[in-house]
Amino acid sequence: MALRHLKKVRVAVSLILFLCALSIFLDLAGALPPRVVAAITTLQIVPAVLRALSGGAAALIAAACILLLTLIVGRVYCSSICPLGTLQDIFSRLNRGRNSVRRFRYRPQNYILHYGLLLLAAALAVGGSMTLLYLLEPFSTFGRLASTLLRPLAVAANNGVAAGLTALGSYAVFTVPFRVQSAVVIIGGVVSLAVLFVMSYTRGRLFCNTLCPAGALLGIVARYSLLKIAIDKSACKDCGLCEKVCKTGCMDSAEMRLDFNACVACFNCFDACPTVGLRFRRPRRQEEVPMNRRRRHVLRGAAGAAAMLVMPPDTLRAVLPAPTGKSRSLLPITPPGSGGIERFTSRCTACHLCVSQCPTQVLTPAFLEYGAGGIFQPRMDYSVSPCTYECTVCGNVCPTGAILPLTTDAKKLVQIGKAKFVRDDCIVITKKTECGACSEHCPTKAVHMVKTEGHFLPEVNDDICIGCGSCEHPCPSTPNKAIYVDANPVHLAAKKPETTKPAPAAGTGSDFPF
Amino acid sequence: MDRRTFVKRTVSATVVAGAAAASGGFLRWAAAAVPPLPYDLVAVKGGEPDAMFDAAIGAMGGMSAFVRKGQKVVIKPNMGWDVTPERGGNTNPLLVARIIRRCLEAGAKEVYVFDHTCDDWRRSYQNSGIESAAKDAGARVAPGHTEGYYHPVTVAGGKALKDAKVHELVLDSDVFINVPVLKNHNSAQLTAGMKNLMGIVWDRGYWHRNDLHQCIADFAVSRKPNLTVIDAYRVMKQNGPRGVSLDDVVQLKSLVLTTDIVAADAAGAKLYGANPDDIPYIALAAERKAGRKDLEHLNIKRIAL
Repeated sequence: MALRHLKKVRVAVSLILFLCALSIFLDLAGALPPRVVAAITTLQIVPAVLRALSGGAAALIAAACILLLTLIVGRVYCSSICPLGTLQDIFSRLNRGRNSVRRFRYRPQNYILHYGLLLLAAALAVGGSMTLLYLLEPFSTFGRLASTLLRPLAVAANNGVAAGLTALGSYAVFTVPFRVQSAVVIIGGVVSLAVLFVMSYTRGRLFCNTLCPAGALLGIVARYSLLKIAIDKSACKDCGLCEKVCKTGCMDSAEMRLDFNACVACFNCFDACPTVGLRFRRPRRQEEVPMNRRRRHVLRGAAGAAAMLVMPPDTLRAVLPAPTGKSRSLLPITPPGSGGIERFTSRCTACHLCVSQCPTQVLTPAFLEYGAGGIFQPRMDYSVSPCTYECTVCGNVCPTGAILPLTTDAKKLVQIGKAKFVRDDCIVITKKTECGACSEHCPTKAVHMVKTEGHFLPEVNDDICIGCGSCEHPCPSTPNKAIYVDANPVHLAAKKPETTKPAPAAGTGSDFPF
Repeated sequence: MDRRTFVKRTVSATVVAGAAAASGGFLRWAAAAVPPLPYDLVAVKGGEPDAMFDAAIGAMGGMSAFVRKGQKVVIKPNMGWDVTPERGGNTNPLLVARIIRRCLEAGAKEVYVFDHTCDDWRRSYQNSGIESAAKDAGARVAPGHTEGYYHPVTVAGGKALKDAKVHELVLDSDVFINVPVLKNHNSAQLTAGMKNLMGIVWDRGYWHRNDLHQCIADFAVSRKPNLTVIDAYRVMKQNGPRGVSLDDVVQLKSLVLTTDIVAADAAGAKLYGANPDDIPYIALAAERKAGRKDLEHLNIKRIAL
């Protein structure tokens, strides 16, 4: 019977998609073109919905496809497409009994918690705070785990190989700058890994049916899906194996019914059933676990959500500590294409795909720079590197539209901040020698050198400065940089640098000037 | 053991051996190069970059006057910027490729090309056109973007610069060929041979912090390339060293080839339209006897193509 093989298909598909998702976070050499990276993330439901809200047509289609798929066969997104789901399966698999079969049992689902969290997260997101949503959203959680915990290990392994080969005289593998995120980011990663591990090790897909907003959303849709797993009473021998392999605990074999909000369509039950007691069809009402006290839950959730909406959007941010940071800029700098702090923080799910894909690693997860509500959302950190003038990777890979894609020409005219020169800290003033590192690297020559008191001092033309940090990064002045980028809370348009041909050059004739 | 220690320990043996081999190789080379070169400096005008190099190296007695059979050669072009060849921010890829071919024809065992770039290294290597041109010509393109590739050396007699971390390929090669592009520079005023050597060291910030011109001169005394070839085919006249647009560039279609890095920069300055005496590091390096800036007293071969 073909239904028995569905599990094998599901396992194969989920592993392939899992490895694809992993590869985009561990792409150390920057080998994957942004288009491929973007393609891999298209099917992630929460990012797709958010991207569609920012006007992404492809994302709208992708989101519709997933909802349609769920409406036909249930939550296959959760079992096959979601990388965090597959990660949980891997953890869950580690906990197997003597017979190498995992034993689960039916447990009524906690809808209050699950839908309450979904409503709360959605309400907060509408109000401008993405924090709760992205702390629970599965793709972003997976991304943070991969980029914070796994990537440094991959870099260490790569650099070990590179060092070995270099010692042998080969540069076939090059080193990648070893970058460990701040302690807070690592602690965040370890905590979510620990929570996820304990939940999946002990209870299979518990996370998906208690905390995950994507699971809750798709659960609602799955309740109305066309095809559902149903027990065929005439063929069922009442062995209960289907319940024992059900990792969501949604199979109530005693009552011969299923909880379809919770089923992730993993097809373990088809594989386990020794007869053909399970069917995939439109079930009768009595074959489904009813959603207890449904109306009351929805009412409660709605009341909670309404309460959240009554609060001004910035309440969360307002009651939390003010932004701080090492940079001299009082506010954090957001990447080109993100529009500015408010637009960016209200759309970013901190999946760290841009952090992983940024060729110069200038994008760094924030701690309190955006306020505590923006923890882990990326910001530009010019102490690491400047933003490459010709690069548009972050906008092209961002799955939520928090950073919108820009053409290279458009990106060069987005002013994300302005360079500020602090004369008293400049080497040229303090040491009376030439320097000019800031102007050297400036791609628009907004920072240019002017002869003042016998030395060349930098001057900034605000109109053509784009705030890329090419001046701040190489400034050799210590302990404070003598030039830094001050954030534009809302991005502005920079003017195109005007260029004029230099005077006809000497030496263009046929004679040698010496 | 952390990664850094691991890398250090792994390569330290190689480096000690490499540094010994490098100095040994250099001495061998110096001893072997008995026949004196016919000219102090060759300047060429009016041709394509590769043809001008062939004319210049031919006048000097061919590439075999500099590269012997079985030697390891490292070529340091300027490929520090993420700009296309037309922008004149990097050395001309045709020139680099031709030098590589001539080295291999002279019997070089291997030819390496690298730079410590200013912009993102992968984009700079790629968009300068040098990476692909060098690979096609038979060279190996090496990375220079992390500190692990650089090892400490003392800068003998340095006034402002006492030590520096230098790329292992430079320490480890028999022949070091410096191939800068001539261009405007906002603070050093002009960049050519000596300034290009900042791309073989790790910590450039130190130079900027501690009298840039003196550091450039100090380092030129310490580490002399066996050959300096200045690419003055397309010359950036303003907004250097990165440039803003094609407007910054003029075609000079010129090339300078010499073993004297100070003479190279003096000739480069003249081609550019500047007085070498106005560029502090040229004067400082000449004063330190790193080379000669008095072009009028040098034996110069001038070739117009």
